[in-house]
Amino acid sequence: MPGDPVTNLMGEDYIASQESIDALKAELGLDKPLLVQYAIYWRDLIRLDLGHSYHFHEGVTQIIASRLVWTIALVGFSILFGTLFGAILGALSGWRRNDVQNKVLTTFFLWVYCTPPFFLSLLALYVFAFEAGIFPMRGFYETGAFADIVKHYFLPVLVLSLFLTSRNYMIMRGSVIQEKGKLYILYARAKGLLSRSILFRHAFKNASLPLITLIALDIGFIISGALFVEIVFSMNGMGTLIFDALLARDYPVLQGIFLFITVMVVLANFVADTVYGIIDPRVRQER
Amino acid sequence: MRGTRSIPQSSKGNKGRIPFLGVGLFLLFFVLGLGADVIAPYDPWERFDPYLEPSAAHWLGTDDLGHDILSELIHGSRVSVLVGLGAAVLATVIGLCIGLFAGYYKGTPDEILMGITDVFLMIPRIPLVILLAAFLKPSSWIIALVIGLLWWTSTARVVRSKSLQVSEMNFVLSSKCLGFSNVHIIFTDVFPNIIQIVIPKFMLTVAAAMITEASLSFLGLGDPSMKSWGMMINFAFTKGGLVNALWWWFIPPGLCITLFVYAVVLLGYSLEEKEQTALGVR
Repeated sequence: MPGDPVTNLMGEDYIASQESIDALKAELGLDKPLLVQYAIYWRDLIRLDLGHSYHFHEGVTQIIASRLVWTIALVGFSILFGTLFGAILGALSGWRRNDVQNKVLTTFFLWVYCTPPFFLSLLALYVFAFEAGIFPMRGFYETGAFADIVKHYFLPVLVLSLFLTSRNYMIMRGSVIQEKGKLYILYARAKGLLSRSILFRHAFKNASLPLITLIALDIGFIISGALFVEIVFSMNGMGTLIFDALLARDYPVLQGIFLFITVMVVLANFVADTVYGIIDPRVRQER
Repeated sequence: MRGTRSIPQSSKGNKGRIPFLGVGLFLLFFVLGLGADVIAPYDPWERFDPYLEPSAAHWLGTDDLGHDILSELIHGSRVSVLVGLGAAVLATVIGLCIGLFAGYYKGTPDEILMGITDVFLMIPRIPLVILLAAFLKPSSWIIALVIGLLWWTSTARVVRSKSLQVSEMNFVLSSKCLGFSNVHIIFTDVFPNIIQIVIPKFMLTVAAAMITEASLSFLGLGDPSMKSWGMMINFAFTKGGLVNALWWWFIPPGLCITLFVYAVVLLGYSLEEKEQTALGVR
């Protein structure tokens, strides 16, 4: 493992005496055996104390809490828009996939799907903020006014939403194409329902099941997508925190974030299972 | 599809169409990667004047250290091909083995193997890859290895469900009656019937691995001894390429990543579609 927190805190050029290294190690609790350190970690974890950051000189829980609000807002709005647009556009496109506008849309979203999120952010930043100057280049806010925050959030949310829309669009499109071949669709048509109502009353619900699973499983992935967007737009959220902590070899912060993301993924899956039960009566009956 | 029946549709039009664009782009980058030493106009480490604008001598200008950007670009496809294919081969082999054994043996082995798969599926992969890439020695091989060890789950699931089906078929039963060993049956009877769903999955894994590698390099966690597209963008981003509007520095590598991934995804999708039309799903 290259680099260690002690060297990082003291500076590489500085030739430290053995005593000061030992003192710093004792202060950070790194002199104890690994098993003891692990036991202390668990003791603190039960009290929701994730330890103390080497680099930021603050409790990890406090650091995460202060950064979290911004990232949650970014991720939350993007999931909302991404799911909404992805599901509806994807469903329409899968339903009538030979229409010209749907073919164009599919090609467009396929391109977005193939673009790494960091490059998409970079392009958006370059075109809209740098060349056109419509949006600010960095950060969450300047004045703190509501309109100012919205202006700062617009591009990052746009990029992340676009990215999520493209994924959801592809899944939904494939899912609707599969549902379209089922017999209940034929029956609905035989009983005289309009094409649009067959799609939104019957096919949509069934087709959205894989989408819900995907979003829940994807929470970790979405958070990491947000990481790249945050880094490109220089926003002080969780993503930049991971990055800064990484460069500073700030293990308590990294562990804390990793634990936090894992808990989020488990929670998201729990929510997805519940939503599954609400949407699909077959799942409800099995219980 | 849990027993719901499908209407057999006459598939019309685009059945079995070869995606010329996808094949062409893929071959182009493959050849560029293999023959980078011959094709690139300069050695990517050779130094000229820094920050040159695009000209006849340097089609895409030079970067902050005076390296020729076009040559770096051509050499960069090598890293993408290596990491993408390497990681995908590893991931596909793991997913294939787990899926095959789980689907063939059913029962307890299936539950255990699929339990492991579910655990891996839940791991937030990108943050973990970032952590590992930061803690281990930065090298393309390690990145490929880590990606390969984490990206096999969806392949395993698809292979398992297909393997469950195939294992029920009569020719597997007759092989059992003839007294062949289980491992022999898995690899000579079940495996050939699964290969056609594995190939599209393989292509999509290549795409995911390439995007992940590019993202890691963009964070500065890539292999410093190999020039990759992600790393070029990282340098452009951190060393003032963006704020000085030197678009020829960071747009071409980004486009290359997108084009290459696009080619691979296009291949994967068209193979998947072909498979589904053959099965009468679509």
